Amino acid sequence: MPVAASAIYFLNLRGDVLINRLYRDDVGGNMVDAFRIHIMQTKELGTCPVRQIGGCSFLYMRISNVYIVIVVSSNANVACAFKFVAEAVVLFKSYFGGAFDEDAIRNNFVLIYELLDEIMDFGYPQNLSPEILKLYITQEGVRSPFSSKHSDKPVPNATLQVTGAVGWRREGLLYKKNEVFLDIVESVNLLMSSKGSVLRCDVSGKILMKCFLSGMPDLKLGLNDKIGLEKESQLKSRPIKSGKTIELDDVTFHQCVNLTRFNSEKTVSFVPPDGEFELMKYRITEGVNLPFRVLPTIKELGRTRMEVNVKVKSVFGAKMFALGVVVKVPVPKQTAKTSFQVTSGRAKYNASIDCLVWKIKKFPGQTESTMSAEVELISTMVEKKSWTRPPIQMEFQVPMFTASGLRVRFLKVWEKSGYNTVEWVRYITKAGSYEIRC
Amino acid sequence: MAPPPIVQQKSSSPSQPSGKSEVSDLKLQLRQLAGSRAPGADDSKRDLFKRVISYMTVGIDVSAAFSEMVMCSATSDIVLKKMCYLYVGNYARCHPDLALLTINFLQKDCRDVDPMIRGLALRSLCSLRVPNLVEYLVSPLSSGLEDGSPYVRMVAVLGVLKLYHISATTCFDSDFPASLKNLMLTDSDAQVVANCLFVLQEIWNLEANKSEEANRERETLLSKQTIYYLLNRIKEFNEWAQCLILELISKYIPSDSNDIFDIMNLLEDRLQHANGAVVLATIKVFLHLTMSMTDVHQQVYERLKAPLLTLVGSGSSEQSYAVLSHLHLLVMRAPMLFSSDYKHFYCQFSDPSYIKKLKLEMLTAIANESNTYEIVTELCEYAGNVDVPIARESIRAVGKIALQQYDVNAIVDRLLQFLEMEKDYVTAETLVLVKDLLRKYPQWSHDCIAVVGNISSKNVQEPKAKAALIWMLGEYSKDMPDAPYILENLIENWDDENAAEVRLHLLTAAMKCFLKRPPETQKALGAALAAGVADSHQDVHDRALLYYRLLQYDVSVAERVVNPPKQAVSVFADLQSSEVKDRIFDEFNTLSVVYQKPSYMFTDKEHRGPFEFSEEIGNLSLDQESMDNAPRFDESDKDLLLGTSEREENGGTSINGAATPGYSAPHDYNSSLVPLSSQTQSEPAVTSQTSFAIDDLLGLSMLAAPEPPSLKLNSKAALDPGTFQRKWGQLGVSISQEIPISPQGVGSLTTPQALIRHMQANSIHCIASGGQSPNFKFFLFAQKDDGSASFFLVECIVNTSSAKAQVKVKADDASASEAFFALFQSALSKFGM
Repeated sequence: MPVAASAIYFLNLRGDVLINRLYRDDVGGNMVDAFRIHIMQTKELGTCPVRQIGGCSFLYMRISNVYIVIVVSSNANVACAFKFVAEAVVLFKSYFGGAFDEDAIRNNFVLIYELLDEIMDFGYPQNLSPEILKLYITQEGVRSPFSSKHSDKPVPNATLQVTGAVGWRREGLLYKKNEVFLDIVESVNLLMSSKGSVLRCDVSGKILMKCFLSGMPDLKLGLNDKIGLEKESQLKSRPIKSGKTIELDDVTFHQCVNLTRFNSEKTVSFVPPDGEFELMKYRITEGVNLPFRVLPTIKELGRTRMEVNVKVKSVFGAKMFALGVVVKVPVPKQTAKTSFQVTSGRAKYNASIDCLVWKIKKFPGQTESTMSAEVELISTMVEKKSWTRPPIQMEFQVPMFTASGLRVRFLKVWEKSGYNTVEWVRYITKAGSYEIRC
Repeated sequence: MAPPPIVQQKSSSPSQPSGKSEVSDLKLQLRQLAGSRAPGADDSKRDLFKRVISYMTVGIDVSAAFSEMVMCSATSDIVLKKMCYLYVGNYARCHPDLALLTINFLQKDCRDVDPMIRGLALRSLCSLRVPNLVEYLVSPLSSGLEDGSPYVRMVAVLGVLKLYHISATTCFDSDFPASLKNLMLTDSDAQVVANCLFVLQEIWNLEANKSEEANRERETLLSKQTIYYLLNRIKEFNEWAQCLILELISKYIPSDSNDIFDIMNLLEDRLQHANGAVVLATIKVFLHLTMSMTDVHQQVYERLKAPLLTLVGSGSSEQSYAVLSHLHLLVMRAPMLFSSDYKHFYCQFSDPSYIKKLKLEMLTAIANESNTYEIVTELCEYAGNVDVPIARESIRAVGKIALQQYDVNAIVDRLLQFLEMEKDYVTAETLVLVKDLLRKYPQWSHDCIAVVGNISSKNVQEPKAKAALIWMLGEYSKDMPDAPYILENLIENWDDENAAEVRLHLLTAAMKCFLKRPPETQKALGAALAAGVADSHQDVHDRALLYYRLLQYDVSVAERVVNPPKQAVSVFADLQSSEVKDRIFDEFNTLSVVYQKPSYMFTDKEHRGPFEFSEEIGNLSLDQESMDNAPRFDESDKDLLLGTSEREENGGTSINGAATPGYSAPHDYNSSLVPLSSQTQSEPAVTSQTSFAIDDLLGLSMLAAPEPPSLKLNSKAALDPGTFQRKWGQLGVSISQEIPISPQGVGSLTTPQALIRHMQANSIHCIASGGQSPNFKFFLFAQKDDGSASFFLVECIVNTSSAKAQVKVKADDASASEAFFALFQSALSKFGM
């Protein structure tokens, strides 16, 4: 039976139950004690997110200072259960106005109960879309849209939207100014060996949209991806214009995107939900432009001294700049004293994470910057050999730059009333896990 | 659209006193408000209700306010209603009498003009879960199923399932399944259709064993007509419903290849869905549909790779874990297809260890000629990883790759470099691996021995590693000048050596060394044998004695036994049978894949062994243990080490022989020693055994099932696992024999339960069981029914492929064991008849 959950528990870090919902009777009410005794209070915590105790499986996840635990007794669908929890958290966040933690839960018992009842019934997931649920699950919105007292107002057909075909959009929306915001957000993941060769490098990107459009608009998005361009030149029988084309390894879309049309015409067309949503996600492994090169040299001088030299080069356009650049260089635990010389930004030693942290607020393109540091270590009886160097990690954001080179070629909005729209497009590249071994 | 409401409430955490005064206070205030129609009364009621709910949530019993809550529920305010439903739902079960109070207003609400209220009331009504209120459910449910609002229908459909779980007969008497079937095929609303499908699927699956009709109904769900109906509407369903529908489709048996391609074309775009669960469900459909078409199946793997790799990288690490487990399964099935994607399985520093572990296993599996160098280089990076368990895993991975025969030369060098890292755990793991490597590639002995010889035995503390080192010292004592002296040193510290495994190896190594370099080792061997004979551990004692007598008898015979010419081990046994792997594959996209075992092993109560029966928390630690025991039995097949004492303790004599084909080390000899020595302990058994053996030869035992013996067994015997374990340790084996099993018996033994139930009928009870076909292992016990409370303990290893059972009997009263054995044998011979 592909049931997603028999019960769901929310626990704080001490293991107290904040709130729970038993959907089915096949798990005992005391199973959460088992979880506490056998997982939370042992070293097992964090070794595996799926565990079996006494006939029940526990699937758990930590979100800020709350553990969300799903209990099932049958052979459940794990991926579905985890995705359900993740989506539920998104839903709660949108109701609580951003935060999801112990306090938010304690302040919203009633609301959470209501939501838990709506999003899952007898262990089967129902509807988790915040847009729809907000139509009828409201605490301060006082009366339900169907309430007889409001019969003078037209009753919006919410139940149809609860379950209907265009589940993600309400009818009859009206904006004075019709605007669309589109952000391409890319995270670059890099794993570089100590010898400077790229072991692994990929980009996972997403396109986020914010739509403030009246009526039921149809949108069409064109990118400079290879398949899309080839298809277009095929259709219009004209050669591909020069310029970079991007090969997307894999794409996934928001449910609003017409996938049949994507498969036949290779264009992304959709009726967007109102407000913010994630239109698509993609992954690219070929032809990634790394925004930064890092050249570390770390010398261990005897038992108690280390010399760290890190050179960072920005390799994106000279007119662009990166923000919030942070370079973390791990050092041994027994670090006693550090001294730094940097060409830009500021560096300091952070003992709680055993790292030299070098921060540069603004890093222009086509420049380089270096940090040299001397580290003194407390001499210990333990051989220093036992220190294995964790990789250097880097954080940054580069606006107006995409590591993949992906660009929006057009974004067309069509609505039957024919209004004008303003489209805004932004690009940003962030560091995903940007690791350089040293 | 209203902005997200932020519910403000008083203090962040209500104090948690006994709550008595609060509850009576609340009751009073509710009573005052109950009849009030004053403006603002609803608002104050809301505040009070909220307080009640939060008390309820933090665990204060507010059921005392039940009647007041019900009185206040006569309101049109939907927020109040919802809170009231919640309250009622929470307490109705433990206070069925009070629940009766609510029926009235819930039924009234089921007829409200507002579909929202109708739906909520119906859901609450069905969720009361009080059996004696079932009669009140039927009429609201039937009108709910015909309601004009899809919201109410949606709730009513799942209400039917709830009713089924409370009272199946009421559900069938009202003919609800038929209405649902009708609704499923005609309703315009996708969620109603989806819910109908869930309910019907669950009901018919549960009923399938009970009636023919249910079985038929279950099959109609999988008929081409239904499947295509759902497929054509699939885009109307929300993501969660799609997951379940895809799950259903994966069970569909297509009529021909056109059918298969039609379905795949229809579903191809589902692989691009943003919800990973939908993608995985689609993958399952693709994999299962193409099972019979080898080449297409392979193309499907290629097609699935990209979406899977994307899924791994998106979402939280828990979600990645769920996906990676599935990817792991596919990689293990077809490592070749993934060999060029090895870089995706490189570990990130920040990956949690459960993810790293899976990635390491995949890297090991996909290593081939073209990528071994890169993979091994990467694995060597992890050996210095801060996370010690992962570092160990990666060293083992390097060793496994070496055993797969790719680029052994370079790998041996790497392994030897590990030894120079001078980290205790690295050295320990590497030693074990070097030993395994030498067993497979004796030609490398020269390089390895040179490095191993430099390791100070003081730096090696882990028993497994120490045993490996000692084995090498013994095996290659000729090439290691210091070997006798190192061994001598170790033997001097005999008493400090806690692990029997190490002491066993020490004995053997001393013997080997003595046979090669007698003058240098004589003294050490003498000391070892003396210490061994005096050892408290049975196996060590026995082995020392055996060696002593062998040497006394004839040194050349001893040499033949201890130091025979060895063949290199060509293949190390696989962990899981292919049957088990296929079963896991059948259960794709479920917990089975994550646990890496078929579902019957963790969902069936009986399969988890009798230890599991008690679900109390106190016993859970025990449960864990027995859980671990079952797989260990299978894994011992795979154990790369030589027969270790640990395994011998498990009495796995038959396993030993099978596990290391072509290797006739002294340990094999030693393991056959166990029955020998046990026979000497209980003389009477020997005769009976031989007579049975003759029976066997003549094929008589089958025909002449022994006469019903005079021995009577207590049918209600009880023994707790702890006592069983203790007794098993204390008692000697009185009978150990192999008996044949009838072909019918073999046929019935698909799961351990079948035999357990059969033996139980013969007053022989099972205390633990495990294993899969063809090997099952049972621990059974029985008690004499003459008030003497004397127990018989049995270990029974059944091999269905050879149709034999290896039986060991231990008894409190050894004199009766023969009679018991006859009884046992007659019981077993009737199995499956």
